[in-house]
Amino acid sequence: MAKIEDKVDLYDDRGNKLLGDVPITALSPLRNPAIRKICGLVARLAAVDLAGLEKRISSGAIAGKQMIIRNKGMDLDIVGKGKAIASQMKDMLEVEAGDETRADLLAGGKRLLVEVPSARILADYSAARTNVCAALTQALIDTFDVDMWKASDIKGAVWGMYPQDPAMTGSVVATLVDVPISNEGPGYTLRNIPVNHIAATVRKRAMPGACLSMVLEESACYEMGDAVGPFERGHLLDFAYEGLNANNMLFNLIKENGQDGTLGDVVYALVEKAKADGVAKPKTKLGSGYTVFGTDDLQMWNAYASTGMLAAVMVNCAAMRAGQPVPSSIMYFNEMLEHDTGLPGVDYGKAQGASVSSSFFSHSIYGGGGPGVFHGNHIVTRHAKGQFIPCFCAAMCIDADTQYFAPSRTSGLYGEVLGSIPEFAEPMKAVAEGAKEIM
Amino acid sequence: MPQYTPGSSLVGENRRKFMDPSKKLEKLRDIAEEDIVRMLGHRAPGEAYKSIHPPIEEMEEPECSVREMVKPTPGAAAGDRIRYVQFTDSMFFAPATPRIRPMMWFTRYRGVDPGVLSGRTIVEARERDVEAIAKEYMDNETYDTARTGLRGRTVHGHSVRLDENGVMFDALRRWSRDPNGDIKYVKDMVGGAMDKEVVLGKPLSEDELRKRTTTFRNAQGGVWMEEDDPEVADVISEIHWNRTWGGFQPFIARSDIAGNKDVGVKGLKLYTPRGGVE
Repeated sequence: MAKIEDKVDLYDDRGNKLLGDVPITALSPLRNPAIRKICGLVARLAAVDLAGLEKRISSGAIAGKQMIIRNKGMDLDIVGKGKAIASQMKDMLEVEAGDETRADLLAGGKRLLVEVPSARILADYSAARTNVCAALTQALIDTFDVDMWKASDIKGAVWGMYPQDPAMTGSVVATLVDVPISNEGPGYTLRNIPVNHIAATVRKRAMPGACLSMVLEESACYEMGDAVGPFERGHLLDFAYEGLNANNMLFNLIKENGQDGTLGDVVYALVEKAKADGVAKPKTKLGSGYTVFGTDDLQMWNAYASTGMLAAVMVNCAAMRAGQPVPSSIMYFNEMLEHDTGLPGVDYGKAQGASVSSSFFSHSIYGGGGPGVFHGNHIVTRHAKGQFIPCFCAAMCIDADTQYFAPSRTSGLYGEVLGSIPEFAEPMKAVAEGAKEIM
Repeated sequence: MPQYTPGSSLVGENRRKFMDPSKKLEKLRDIAEEDIVRMLGHRAPGEAYKSIHPPIEEMEEPECSVREMVKPTPGAAAGDRIRYVQFTDSMFFAPATPRIRPMMWFTRYRGVDPGVLSGRTIVEARERDVEAIAKEYMDNETYDTARTGLRGRTVHGHSVRLDENGVMFDALRRWSRDPNGDIKYVKDMVGGAMDKEVVLGKPLSEDELRKRTTTFRNAQGGVWMEEDDPEVADVISEIHWNRTWGGFQPFIARSDIAGNKDVGVKGLKLYTPRGGVE
């Protein structure tokens, strides 16, 4: 098998060079320490809404909205005793003294961020959620000396509707990744995170948002078996150019077309760039004078197309300051690209295909929904591998709260908790630093 | 220079003309802005724009480089509501087609969200941007008063036979035809009452429609893509070849794949007679 020898320069979201001559193999989720840390934390972090739990237990609304048992309320000062609860949980979750376990209070003690040590995950990442639920239940029972007759209410309030509902609806413990039963298929764990959570985490900055989203999507592609052998280079190129602003192409496309450019201008600017770089080459001239283009490197063409697609989404959505045009922007970026050149659209037609159904599901044609609650773990989004969902995240970052499902409404807790971790807040810088360590 | 789309026929040329923003589309009528607002029915003529957020300048936007590089449209800058305009194009040689509409809007407008459905094409945008699009695209040559409809709901008509005057079917009878041949709107886009009728004018002649159309159609003297302009089908075939190549093994050379090495399908056998089967 041919060795992957491509190198790129990495730039940040403002067009400043972060690192030069980076072998794209240093961006592999299997090797890059920052990506490994991000994925590890995504699987092992849990956020607990202590204030919400307190309210829930006092009102008897044990497993969320409609699960209310009147007269079952208990007045427990959970926020007030947060320190003791957190301390006991840390003791219980720790495997070896000094390992990565932590239980930190945030937002004036109203929220709790728990990191479960990796040693607890033997085969199933659900161990993070189950162990936090169990530790929290035990800490509450001990802290407030809850007797046997009331302990089940505590358990219900923490675990939600588990075990009647294996998806644990109503649990106060939130993890970024969902339970395995909610995954569309094997390897989809990291794709099952709504883009609003990511948008809130990066404080609604479009380029870092797209980057973090693509870190997770591309990492999932490795876990899905989509990036094995000769296919790996394609994924790494897509990730470098679209997600990490390699060679500053993404930034330049936006900058050149930001003031008065249309989506079409981005399409044709991308084609000119591909021609100038020798990625698209004339193949045949037809009767009307139309030239059909070909390529000697289809994986590189796909990386260029993916970058253009994200730039086109950003330019069109930002002009409208709204997230809703993301599916139509994806669809017509690809349609216009294909008919201008004869070369295939992003992910060889799969991004365009997924955009058709995404338009339906994001415009309330089939029930309520919006691009903010989209993720890669869904029948209408999953077909394009890696390049598609970052566009949705960028669009929701740009949205000026025109959507019902806005990040502030759906993902405040995630934003508060994860936004405080440097790798999540500045993923472009973190991945570049990670690459530097292993170059 | 962009090529936009292939084709050596008049249809190919018209498609490129619609898509190329450097080509000015011919203005066939001048509908008053107030009448456009009246027909859209989103606000009363003269009424102020409603907003869903404060003007962008007054908002505290995140420190996002994309926002800093991309200027909002006038409607977005003012915080307008998002509204829509929707057209139905008759398959009987209406100048525009559902597929060509989003492509011409995407090359000519910023901040738009078009959607193509089976027989209608919607474009959503900020309210004052929608009004600008509606005005331009009801005034210019992409709109024929008999074969193009402004329809918010009950859009049916695109593939329905025409009436005896060559006018597209409309179940809500939003429009009527004056004895002198003028088409006028008596109801708004969704079929609601209007305080005043809006006269759009006379339809184009059949010859004129065939000169301006962007639809291939093997019937009634239309341009038959497979026979008359095979280059268009050849490019579509090439795109599909390349998609399949990428779906199989994007790391090999196209020339290593057994089968057609050239563009298009040679010797394509056409079983339909010219003029179609009616």
